[in-house]
Amino acid sequence: MGLGMLASRVMRPTASKLPRNLLSHFHIRPIVSTPESSAAQAQPEPEPTPPPRAPVAGARVHFKNPDDAIEVFVDGYPVKIPKGMTVLQACEVAGVDIPRFCYHSRLSIAGNCRMCLVEVEKSPKPVASCAMPALPGMKIKTDTPVAKKAREGVMEFLLMNHPLDCPICDQGGECDLQDQSMAFGSDRGRFTEMKRSVVDKNLGPLVKTVMTRCIQCTRCVRFATEVAGVQDLGMLGRGSGEEIGTYVEKLMTSELSGNVIDICPVGALTSKPFAFKARNWELKGTETIDVTDAVGSNIRIDSRGPEVLRILPRLNEDINEEWISDKTRFFYDGLKRQRLNDPMIRGADGRFKAVSWRDALAVVAEVAHQTKPEEIVGIAGQLSDAESMMALKDFLNKMGSNNVWCEGNGVNTDADLRSGYLMNSGIAGLEKADVFLLVGTQPRVEAAMVNARIQKTVRATQAKVGYIGPAADFNYDHQHLGIGPQTLIEIAEGRHPFCSALLNAKNPAIIVGAGLFERKDKDAIFSAVETISKYAKVVRPDWNGFNVLLLNAAQAAALDLGLVPESGKSIESAKFVYLMGADDVNMEKVPVDAFVVYQGHHGDRGVYRANVILPAAAFSEKEGTYENTEGCVQQTLPAVPTVGDARDDWKIIRALSEVAGVRLPYDSLGAIRSRIKTVAPNLVHMDEREPATFSASLKPDFSHKMSLTAFGSTIENFYMTDSITRASKIMAQCSALLLKK
Amino acid sequence: MAFTLRSVKVPPNSASLEEARHRVFDFFRAACRSLPTVMEIYNLHDVATVSQLRSTVASEIRKNSHVTNPKVIDMLLFKAMEELGNIAEHAKQRHHIIGQYVVGRQGLVQDVGTKDQGISNFLKNFYNTNY
Amino acid sequence: MASSVVKNALKAIRERGLGNFFRELKEEGYLNCLSDGNLLQTKIHNIGAKLVGVDKVGNRYYEKLDIQYGRHRWVEYAEKGRYNASQVPAEWHGWLHYITDNTGDELLMLKPKRYGIEHKENFSGEGEELIYHSKGHALNPGQRNWTRYQPWEPTKA
Repeated sequence: MGLGMLASRVMRPTASKLPRNLLSHFHIRPIVSTPESSAAQAQPEPEPTPPPRAPVAGARVHFKNPDDAIEVFVDGYPVKIPKGMTVLQACEVAGVDIPRFCYHSRLSIAGNCRMCLVEVEKSPKPVASCAMPALPGMKIKTDTPVAKKAREGVMEFLLMNHPLDCPICDQGGECDLQDQSMAFGSDRGRFTEMKRSVVDKNLGPLVKTVMTRCIQCTRCVRFATEVAGVQDLGMLGRGSGEEIGTYVEKLMTSELSGNVIDICPVGALTSKPFAFKARNWELKGTETIDVTDAVGSNIRIDSRGPEVLRILPRLNEDINEEWISDKTRFFYDGLKRQRLNDPMIRGADGRFKAVSWRDALAVVAEVAHQTKPEEIVGIAGQLSDAESMMALKDFLNKMGSNNVWCEGNGVNTDADLRSGYLMNSGIAGLEKADVFLLVGTQPRVEAAMVNARIQKTVRATQAKVGYIGPAADFNYDHQHLGIGPQTLIEIAEGRHPFCSALLNAKNPAIIVGAGLFERKDKDAIFSAVETISKYAKVVRPDWNGFNVLLLNAAQAAALDLGLVPESGKSIESAKFVYLMGADDVNMEKVPVDAFVVYQGHHGDRGVYRANVILPAAAFSEKEGTYENTEGCVQQTLPAVPTVGDARDDWKIIRALSEVAGVRLPYDSLGAIRSRIKTVAPNLVHMDEREPATFSASLKPDFSHKMSLTAFGSTIENFYMTDSITRASKIMAQCSALLLKK
Repeated sequence: MAFTLRSVKVPPNSASLEEARHRVFDFFRAACRSLPTVMEIYNLHDVATVSQLRSTVASEIRKNSHVTNPKVIDMLLFKAMEELGNIAEHAKQRHHIIGQYVVGRQGLVQDVGTKDQGISNFLKNFYNTNY
Repeated sequence: MASSVVKNALKAIRERGLGNFFRELKEEGYLNCLSDGNLLQTKIHNIGAKLVGVDKVGNRYYEKLDIQYGRHRWVEYAEKGRYNASQVPAEWHGWLHYITDNTGDELLMLKPKRYGIEHKENFSGEGEELIYHSKGHALNPGQRNWTRYQPWEPTKA
């Protein structure tokens, strides 16, 4: 007797109690259907199409040409995809995640791991879906016994030589092989012989190798050649003797080498500084941005308690795709060293003494009041956020001074036209360019992610790159046109052979380095660049190829906020200098009797001249707005608490203003942002790129004489550019080992 | 049951304020007598002295100097005896004692008073903490 | 047997002089025998027994197979005053307690070089500084520093 029968029996007395007339009016449905009736109901629809699934990881279909759409069936569900997509991509659009090791969407297709095998109707054997283009009407089956068996077999072969290292492996918990063997592997192996072992390679101070764990997916090899543009890694040997290695014993000399850690699907390549420090499930991830260069790469700071333990890239197609530079990835140990944790005052004997905030602010306020307003100078450092720069400017303006600027911007920079200091084509827009002219900039050291874009473009479209500046190491084909302004003038006057390339280009891009801001003849250089951009039609309504590549995270926002000094000579006559994390200011210019306040988070160059030290928060500890070189506004979020007695930058200035009796009218981050909105409204639109409205052609023409001194290299050491990276041990190691000539 | 009740002796209520006052002094004396033992069992020699702890106890008592109702005083005394008993029985750990009676609730530096008059809440908070 | 003991003693006095003889007597713990019957009994047992080994702290391990089984192995501690069972190092413990017939010297070969730590006797009641305190304990001399950053030190004088 089924449950339904029982239920209907129980129901019957109640039903019979109902009045007859009610029963005749209403048809009472049986509550539980009998098995026979439900089977009968299902018969009319023989095979229901499964409900459409959401695409994997937000995979989107982009039809360049609507005629190219073809239809394939994944597990019986029809899906429309553009021609040329692989079977694996079609499955992703259909919402089926195919296991894979060697396939990576940003690298070329290798098809050697065989993990992505699926069954295709009318094909005699399972098909490696990552390498097979989808054909119209293809019937792909991902869940059949054949496909499952194929995966299980591949997994067994992969695990044959893979050590049982998971408990001591740094990849444990975020390992593709671990996850996929759980999902698709067999529960036992049949391999009883010895496993092979491979000698570990030395790839330098950043990447740890345990080559026995390698499954020969060759992702790292393809990454090195295709994205990083170095031919260091390769595949050696055949069969079970196959191994990844550098052909000769040498270190990996790319500034993007850390990304092989992310793309390695197993624990063969892991982070050396992070080795055995933490497990990934213990970590708290904070989605923030990087401030070591002007790119503003999107990163995730993984922290445990008060410690930053590692930094990983976050996907942002417009800025850093999914890579970050080695400096971004590994400088985090600098956040734990050389930190300023107490307010300090230099006594009469020249020694620093830790004091309370109350005393430190009182001293600073008193000295500031005794100084004449025009002798007060404020300099924002290269890591300053927009909020604190706004507060600094407001504070100094209230004190009567207008001498406030951001280091690296030079003293006579024009902050009126945004197009004059931004990367107008955008970082992603560089991919459309077909001729590059780099003027006094070495993107490889100044902004590694921008360099990766140029490299990608050069590799994909054979775009030409012309470079003016000191001899430099590029990882793509380029023409070294000259070393100084002489060549620039030649091009501007149309006498140089590179002019024809510029003229024939569809989308020429000129990238000017921000290092030129510091030159005296800056205006002359920029007007020469403008002449070039005029005759080469660099700036058009549909394409703006005039780019300035900034150096520091704070620069763009500082110029947006109008942090430009009143006079170029102000620092020589200063009596009160407020350094907000500014370490690269030439301290010898500051008069001996000047009172220097250093507000910052690291005991770096600026501290040694300071009279008062006010400890501030580093970018990982505060919420702050940064604008990157292309004008995209992003913000950092606090991942860890501040150290010691440190405070957020804008709070220090706000508190100081009150002690000095010129109270700033904002008490919260929201209030300070609404103040910023009145000055630079684009700085409050987070994660949006605000292109410059007026093109640079509106700029008045200057006819200064250009000095013929050659362009210098702006950054000597890629690994150490600011106070945090200079404090980092790993970065010191890198510069010792990798920059060896 | 009776066995546990015996240890917690509830004395009869104080009849007058005078009697309650005497009881407070008795408690203070009891507390002072137990201080050397407390120093010993919690290893406080490197962070505090007996006289420091004594003045802490005194200030804890003075905090309630405005209370005049003998019943309330009795209640406070009962709580104080309980606390003292817990401390003397080693029912607490070292950091409890340090946190509550050595460092104190406001932190070591008790910088309150005339200086903070007339400053904004922001600045007051700024001096205390970053958050 | 007793005569041989006396003979040996006289021989030692003759060889090394009376002062040296008495100093040795004291070092060997014979003076402690006067007040410590336990030690005296051990000393008497030792006569005619086989010295199996001496460990690194100087404990002497004896065996005499003609006495009752289960009492045929014993130790004379190097420490004559405050001896206790925890002074026997791990490698000799097994032999002494009839767990194994391998002597400590043999077992010492098997001791892992890399992570085998030295034996330490139990110091309970011998003073606070000798007792084991866990890493969080207030009396642990190697107090852990929980500061996760390194502050900048003003170096300039």
